[in-house]
Amino acid sequence: MRSLFLKIFLWFWGTAILTGIALILSFILQRGGVPDRWHAALKDAAGIYGRAAVGEMERGGAAAVTAYLDDLSRTAHTQACLFYQNGTSVAGDRCDSFRSLIERAADSSGHSAFDIRYGLVRVALQVSSHNGPPYVFATQLPAGPRAALGPNPGGLALHWIVAFVVSGLICYLLARYLTRPILQLQAASRQLAAGKLETRAATDAGRRSDELGELIRDFNTMAERIEDLVSSQRQLVSDVSHELRSPLARLIVAMDLARERKGGDPAFDRMEKDFERLSEMVGRLLTVARLDAASASVEMKTLNLRALVAEVVSDAEFAARERQRSVRFSAGADLYIHGNADLLRSAIENIVLNALRYTASGTAIDILLQADTASASAQLTVRDHGPGVPDKELQNIFRPFYRVDNARDEQSGGAGLGLAITDRVIRLHRGSVTAANAAKGGLELQVTIPIADLAQHEPNQH
Amino acid sequence: MERILIVDDDVGLCEVLAERLATEGFSLEAVYDGTRGLERARSAQHALVILDLMLPGLTGLEVLRNLRAHSGIPVLILTARGEDVDRILGLEIGADDYLPKPFNPRELIARIRAVLRRTSQHDTATAGLSAGDISLDVPAREAWIGPRKLHLTSVEFSLLEAFLERAGHVVTREQLTETVLGRRVVGPFDRVIDVHVSNLRKKLGDSPAGDRIKAVRGAGYQFVPRSEPGKK
Repeated sequence: MRSLFLKIFLWFWGTAILTGIALILSFILQRGGVPDRWHAALKDAAGIYGRAAVGEMERGGAAAVTAYLDDLSRTAHTQACLFYQNGTSVAGDRCDSFRSLIERAADSSGHSAFDIRYGLVRVALQVSSHNGPPYVFATQLPAGPRAALGPNPGGLALHWIVAFVVSGLICYLLARYLTRPILQLQAASRQLAAGKLETRAATDAGRRSDELGELIRDFNTMAERIEDLVSSQRQLVSDVSHELRSPLARLIVAMDLARERKGGDPAFDRMEKDFERLSEMVGRLLTVARLDAASASVEMKTLNLRALVAEVVSDAEFAARERQRSVRFSAGADLYIHGNADLLRSAIENIVLNALRYTASGTAIDILLQADTASASAQLTVRDHGPGVPDKELQNIFRPFYRVDNARDEQSGGAGLGLAITDRVIRLHRGSVTAANAAKGGLELQVTIPIADLAQHEPNQH
Repeated sequence: MERILIVDDDVGLCEVLAERLATEGFSLEAVYDGTRGLERARSAQHALVILDLMLPGLTGLEVLRNLRAHSGIPVLILTARGEDVDRILGLEIGADDYLPKPFNPRELIARIRAVLRRTSQHDTATAGLSAGDISLDVPAREAWIGPRKLHLTSVEFSLLEAFLERAGHVVTREQLTETVLGRRVVGPFDRVIDVHVSNLRKKLGDSPAGDRIKAVRGAGYQFVPRSEPGKK
């Protein structure tokens, strides 16, 4: 979920660290090329040491030079060697390492050569003497990053850690700055999609003046507009149903009074039947409107889904016997989910009644309840042995007032709202209902509801 | 002429209903708000109260709760279709039965008759019934556990009476609905009788030896007599 954050963070950090490493490595590993403006200074420094060394040589011979170079190494941390012009060393420490440098110095026009290696600058230059051939003096002077870091390896590690932490912190802040509004937007749009239309993306990020801030403001405007549209439409459905109910109630009583006075006219029976259908529809419409509006206000508690389904099945068995149909029910262990028992019962009832309505006479409907451990959900499958539904219409059966076969439904008396209610109830429980035609014919509805976290499970009479 | 009280804010409906019920020999008194409805319902001048749950002022559920604190008068609630939660709440608070609104008046008349038949049975019924520590005074419609008097609504008394008459036997939900509510089970998922059984169970209290009324899956309920005088 935080992968965009992680990506941006790692890319930034990686880039920063690699750039740093590359800079340092190129500096350390680069041989030769010492910048011109250093030359004079380095040459002067080396020249002073060199002339002093030659002076010692003339005054006291090789022993005096050795003493001087030792002293130099101790007090100035500078390693140096004095050579004859032919390249053999007079005095000094580890003089072989200067070999190639003094050769280059002998060949060059200015009789000096520079080298940079591991952050140390090495200089070789020819120093003339008062009474004889010139000598060649070579020395290694601390310079560059290595000089700044010092020779202490512990300090070096500390510096590396500081560099890592600082660059990591900066990259973390940068990545967070970029991805936080995106993650907030993602969370908000998910909530919106789940039906919480009052959701808005965070306003602190909305104050940003960049493109992300603009995106969040646009999102919030869109969410507001959707909420307005949907709630006014729901309100309309709810109002119309409420308003229809009172005149309908009066009409039914008045019609019955008229029948009482005029005697049994078959027209009254037809009216009564249609009034009954109308009342049923108004009631179900109100249920749909209420469920659409109520996503946050439904009281949920932990309940045993197996017991609830068993209750519905036991009620349905009675209805099935009357219609020469039967119910086969199989379930595993108790399954605890977080939900509203009344709503869930009516949702499952609708599915079971629907299956009983369409299964062929003399057949059974199959109800199977099982746990799916992979998705941590309860799966309820209800299958009938009826005509099924054309494949391209399968999704539509959850829409209000949808009818596969008008004539059939008129006869069986359904209001066309049962499965629409089921769909809403199950979605309220963060689950889903899907419809499919079974391989051997008949409609198969599958309800998936997340299993409750058993750590929070409180025993309940269901 | 039996007097019936209706509490409903739909004046037009009350008028046409009064006319319709008059043809069946009932006199209907209509009250249009909850506060006055409660006052009239407690006057003990009616055989039955028809109570709409959607009322201005005092809601139907509040009227019912107040009424049940003082009176066991039969109450039939009118619930809006699609408001199942209200219906269950109403039954749990102590309504005898419910009718979804809009309703068929013939259905209403049948319910009224069933309630009146049940409450006016005393003269033909046996004087007393008992099983274990529970005893009934049928003419007075009073029930006792040992020395403790139970406060039962009219429908709960009839339910307990039905259980005691067939103590130890399984009674189906259909049989109970017919004897107690005087009507047939409506559809496969009519749970009114189950709510009444659950209310009655609560009032009888737990018995250390187990439930007095056992649910028998797929069949119905069974009353098991216990003898623990005085124990709750």
